Amino acid sequence: MTADALTALLPFIVLSAAAVAVMLAIAIRRSFRLVFWLTVGGLLAGLSTLPHASPVAPLQVTDLLRIDAYGLFFHALFLLSALVVALLCLAYFRRRENENEEIFVLLLTSTLGALLLVSSAHLAMFFLGLEVLTISLFPMIAYSVRASRPLEAGIKYLLLSGLASSFLMFGMALVYGDLGVLSFEQIGAHGAELEQKPLALAGLFLILAAIGFKLSLVPFHLWTPDVYQGAPAPVTAFLATVSKASVFALLLRFFTAAHAERSETFLCVLGLLAVVSILAGNLLALLQVSLKRLLAYSSIAHMGYLLTGFVAAGLLRRDLQTETIAFYLAAYTVTSLAAFGAISALSDDDRESDRLSDYAGLFWRSPWLAAVLTLSLLSLAGIPLTVGFVGKFYVFAVGVQAETWPLVATVVIGSGIGIYYYLRVVLTMIQPAGVGQRVTLHPAAGTALAAAALVILAAGLFPQPLIDAAANVPQPPPTADSP
Amino acid sequence: MSSAGVPHTDLWPLLLYFELVLVVVGTMLALPPFLGERRTRRTPATEQPYESGIVAVGSSQLRFSVRFYLIAIFFVIFDLEAVFIFAWAIAFRESGWPGYIEILIFIGVLVATLVYLWRIGALDWRTPRQRGIEATIHQ
Repeated sequence: MTADALTALLPFIVLSAAAVAVMLAIAIRRSFRLVFWLTVGGLLAGLSTLPHASPVAPLQVTDLLRIDAYGLFFHALFLLSALVVALLCLAYFRRRENENEEIFVLLLTSTLGALLLVSSAHLAMFFLGLEVLTISLFPMIAYSVRASRPLEAGIKYLLLSGLASSFLMFGMALVYGDLGVLSFEQIGAHGAELEQKPLALAGLFLILAAIGFKLSLVPFHLWTPDVYQGAPAPVTAFLATVSKASVFALLLRFFTAAHAERSETFLCVLGLLAVVSILAGNLLALLQVSLKRLLAYSSIAHMGYLLTGFVAAGLLRRDLQTETIAFYLAAYTVTSLAAFGAISALSDDDRESDRLSDYAGLFWRSPWLAAVLTLSLLSLAGIPLTVGFVGKFYVFAVGVQAETWPLVATVVIGSGIGIYYYLRVVLTMIQPAGVGQRVTLHPAAGTALAAAALVILAAGLFPQPLIDAAANVPQPPPTADSP
Repeated sequence: MSSAGVPHTDLWPLLLYFELVLVVVGTMLALPPFLGERRTRRTPATEQPYESGIVAVGSSQLRFSVRFYLIAIFFVIFDLEAVFIFAWAIAFRESGWPGYIEILIFIGVLVATLVYLWRIGALDWRTPRQRGIEATIHQ
């Protein structure tokens, strides 16, 4: 292994070492604060290795991993999100009644899984990364063991994830059985003849089903509201952002490497998934009285918007596709972190405040918190001056340019419905305050929320730096085109 | 590694096998009502697992300490890790120094995990109550 390869692998090495170090620190002395600072140190160290890794990119490290600017952009995004989630955890577990230190080990390992996932160039690494991410998420979701909701959510996620993983495995087996290769690049070399290979095509659809489960696209979405509602709020924030964005980043890398965009069938299926996700997500969100469930359905709809951008931009140009997806994912991640962060700041491991009535009069009880939540909801709705608007504009623009009118119409209808239920939450917050007491904001949660809100506003007003970061992304692995 | 894949004409044994499975399972499900004994009169003995004259004692649902499962899980996990070490040992000469360093890291992580499990008391067989009693005895 060359020095370059080791440099490129540094983010993974540092993050793995940090997870082991945090685990040993817990063994030596249980101190929530010490473990928190170690985790933050590990994440910052991981971030600081990214500038060293970027000059050697793009680089293929073994058959399994490919380090390129596309992956590094998402590495930075995930490490920063994990940092925000760590801050939220510090505030959320402030009562310190149980032994809560292990959540940081799990946070580090699941972040490692997400990083592996976006850099994978091989079906084996795809599976490994996904499992590292998912298996760390099971205990995180069921972390508050004394309550029944988290346990239920954990079991549901475990069973359904296992099912999705078996679909994924079967799909990979079919692809391997028909093509005899596992690396994305070699699968791409078969791209042109894919339509004539029924087994491999069936395999790709099974893989798509597994990815659809992780992204909670509509036929596979049933777990989302229950798990989002049951999991502790910081974990929900992680689940909604890092877990989903990493799988979507992988979807883009895998399907462009496999030249799936050449297949009409595939684009039709993806478009169909996008339409039903947007409609079902938005319509079901109308009925919710729990803010976490509402955001869960809204995330289903947002994955639909993303898929619309994926299909439409895929018809146009590769670089536009990466730019659209990377920007939208970054925007969605920041916005969701702010929204779930606000829920997390109002809850602790004893009581989750996720009912809409918990937010009545929040503007009078805690104006800053209410402002951040409003900002993130407006960004989710795609109101101008927020980063969500720029993201939605991208999706809209590529949809119009590619002349995919049914998709554009669905996005318009979905956004219209979306504004209604997002504003309903805002209206609840400005109702006259009842007997509610003032909310004291934990400094860690305050920092995390302020940072997220600043990014939403700054990137909404001056989107260019973020666009550049997302657009400098070169192609996912350049594939040797088959003649 | 051939890239030709499986020719679809060679799949017929698999299809035949699939059909045979359906036939066998279908037969097994269809025949018992005709061949089995007729139960016109249901007695308490009919509901017993063994209708052989010996009355069952107690329930089959015993309560095990959750620690059994914990130890069982540790056993499975560490056993699996040992399998990885065996896989490395077979390819000892071929993998050379890089392989040696990698397995050292692997074993190092395993040892760290064991230290962690030991220190948090996961290997301790006693319940918290027993530990409390023992602490008072030693005072």
